Amino acid sequence: MTADTTPPTAANECDWLDAALVADGRDHAASYVDDAGFTARVMAALPAPAAVAPRWRRPAVAALWTVAAAGAAIALPGAVLDVGREAFRLLAAQPVSVAQIAAMLAAAGAATWGAAAWALRAE
Amino acid sequence: MASPPDPDAALVARAVLSDDRHAFAELVRRHQSAVRACLRKLTAGNHALADDLAQETFVLAWRHLGGYRQEAKLSTWLYRIATNCWLADARRRKEEPLGDAADEVADAAGTAFAEERAAPDHARGATMKLDLERALAALSEGERAAIVQCYYNDLSHEEAAFVLGVPIGTVKTHVLRGKQKLKAALAAWAPRQDA
Repeated sequence: MTADTTPPTAANECDWLDAALVADGRDHAASYVDDAGFTARVMAALPAPAAVAPRWRRPAVAALWTVAAAGAAIALPGAVLDVGREAFRLLAAQPVSVAQIAAMLAAAGAATWGAAAWALRAE
Repeated sequence: MASPPDPDAALVARAVLSDDRHAFAELVRRHQSAVRACLRKLTAGNHALADDLAQETFVLAWRHLGGYRQEAKLSTWLYRIATNCWLADARRRKEEPLGDAADEVADAAGTAFAEERAAPDHARGATMKLDLERALAALSEGERAAIVQCYYNDLSHEEAAFVLGVPIGTVKTHVLRGKQKLKAALAAWAPRQDA
């Protein structure tokens, strides 16, 4: 910055500093930082794209399970009926009162709402 | 009068809607120079640190590009992320450039000035730039950031307030205080009455 002959008043002191900052800012804006592989490094640092399952996968898996279940039911009809009957008997034999069912429902509700509140708070 | 179309808007849309990494790479190529240069100023010329922070800036920009509402220019939004990255890093490093450092810088500037007073204009200009850089490095983080945004990134006070996440009044105060400190540090460069 070249010196001038005006007296150093507060105003022109600001002027010379302003001029110096503006000139330096202009040089800064005009200078170009060469990429030199920077963009490639940024792209390599990006998180990997989320693996998206193909659309056909879910119906195909459901169909395979259905076929497997149907095959088991046809091949072993007695076994399927026996398992179902025993499972029902096991559940029905449990001495569960209405009060206990209500308590279980209340506990499940409290757990669900607590988890939801925790998730919202975390977000 | 209709504002000119944002040249980045189409690329941003492609990156957000189609997860298009090529579009984002083009955005990085367009803005890397400005963001890295800004961070070099903020880090007082530490190029390696500036580039690390610039990389962090663009990775964060990619993650949050869906939240970019185009209320500000993309460059201004990137400056905001870059400044936040720099501030977070400075806090991690517990960088406290205030205090004695300012006096050392002022002394250094004065010494350089005394040596270069009689040098040709281009050499004096280079010395002045060096002194200015040293004096900027001695400012507080807020003052340095405000001056860099207003003078080097050529942002308005309003845009600088957006970048720094502070009220406009705070930006003006930081700029004013920063310039007072710069004036003290660069006193030897002030125009003299006897010239």
